[in-house]
Amino acid sequence: MSHLTKTNEAFWWSLFSAGGVMAALFLPVMIFVTGFVLPFMMGEDVESQRDRMVSLVTFWPVRIALFGIIFLSSFHCAHRIRHVLMDFGLRWAGVALMICCYGAAAAGAVAAGLILVRL
Amino acid sequence: MPEQTITLDVFRYRPDEDERSTIQSYDVPYYEHWVILDALNWIKDHVDGTLSFRWSCRMGVCGSCGMMINGDPKLTCAAFLKDYFPRAIRVEPLVNFPVERDLVIVMDDFMSKLTSVKPWLIRDDTRPMEEELLQSPSQLAAYKQFSMCINCLLCYAACPELDGDPDFLGPAAIALAHRYNLDSRDQGTAERQDILGAEEGVWGCALVGECTAVCPKNVDPAGAIQQAKVAVTKDWYKRLLLPWGKR
Amino acid sequence: MRKPLVQPYPKDWFLRTRAYRLFMLRELTSVCIAGYLVFMLWWLYQLGKGDTESFRSLLSIAKHPVSIGLHTIALIAAAWHSITWFNLTPLVMPMRIGEDRVPNVVIAIAMGYGPWLAVSGFILWATLR
Repeated sequence: MSHLTKTNEAFWWSLFSAGGVMAALFLPVMIFVTGFVLPFMMGEDVESQRDRMVSLVTFWPVRIALFGIIFLSSFHCAHRIRHVLMDFGLRWAGVALMICCYGAAAAGAVAAGLILVRL
Repeated sequence: MPEQTITLDVFRYRPDEDERSTIQSYDVPYYEHWVILDALNWIKDHVDGTLSFRWSCRMGVCGSCGMMINGDPKLTCAAFLKDYFPRAIRVEPLVNFPVERDLVIVMDDFMSKLTSVKPWLIRDDTRPMEEELLQSPSQLAAYKQFSMCINCLLCYAACPELDGDPDFLGPAAIALAHRYNLDSRDQGTAERQDILGAEEGVWGCALVGECTAVCPKNVDPAGAIQQAKVAVTKDWYKRLLLPWGKR
Repeated sequence: MRKPLVQPYPKDWFLRTRAYRLFMLRELTSVCIAGYLVFMLWWLYQLGKGDTESFRSLLSIAKHPVSIGLHTIALIAAAWHSITWFNLTPLVMPMRIGEDRVPNVVIAIAMGYGPWLAVSGFILWATLR
């Protein structure tokens, strides 16, 4: 072992892990709701469907939970995609790869925050 | 000589004559109770004395006869011919290591990685040597699994991440570091943290999990690395939040 | 004189064995999940407009076969992520009681599959009640 490189990978890994838990617990059922429950299992009355969805999502604890889920899951995906790209031979891209992946995740988190506050 | 034979396609590299490796095929007598190491020794004794390979105990303890068998890292003393018969068996040196000669790999890099994690009990007190350090059965159970490693290097051959970063400490070295960190008698966790927490330490791992799958001693290096990641991460946050605190 | 031979490592190693392919499949679930997160942002934005017309367009898109197909892929990927994640939990966070290790199945159920079922059931109940 000739040299050691200091790294803040621990920080990214902690976001990756927390996001992995969030995605594992919440995303399958959320995909089921937006993809199958809403269009096919909530009756024909569009007005009442909309009211129920809006009242559910605008409930403040739900907004905060949705923000946590989207924020952490984004960083989970960013970290994994970065490592997949490294495995595909882009290890040389180093910091640029980090900026692209985590930057996209941060942009997604900011967008989620703005959308959820203005709901 | 029994009536049946089996073919071994063996990787050859003679550094004094060859620029690249070649494959040499040998027909070997087939016995149900023979392992691949028996077949290699038969070749060396009866056909070709120049074939080089490491072996010692023939019983899965010494960890020196690891080779790639049909592309999978295995101890050749534990891989039976009958599991491959009647098809030919491809025997190659462990991947992720330079080849010294034929089936013999260069271990120098691994040896320096192994010593870099300080795999011994570190004490910061000055108690006399003759005083015992007592340990309860549950304290022993906490690390025992990770102490069973025989340094056979199958886990290094199974790890695809080592190709991307050859400086990655790798499964066995991290498992051993974790073994000492978990030992109730050890006080050297902080000293090992710099190397475990470096890019070349636990962060070289993407949890492919094959190191654990190929381990002949059930050491579970993949588990050790993930647990070390958790410990390193806690330490990173501790340093961030309490920069003045004692590590 | 020593002249060690360095062998090239296959660039397509992740296609070479079943274990490596399964690893890559697990890692690539993140691409599907990232795609869904982008859709989720749009979905929340559209819902936040509040008027019936925006909601109608949301519904008609959700009923489109392309949406059904993409949601099916995302659901399979997300569920595969959940299963692999929970199965690896005991590896990352082993537990012991005295000398004995708590069985992996117990940890996976207590910290993964159990909460997964509870959370999914609760969210379904909240949307369908």
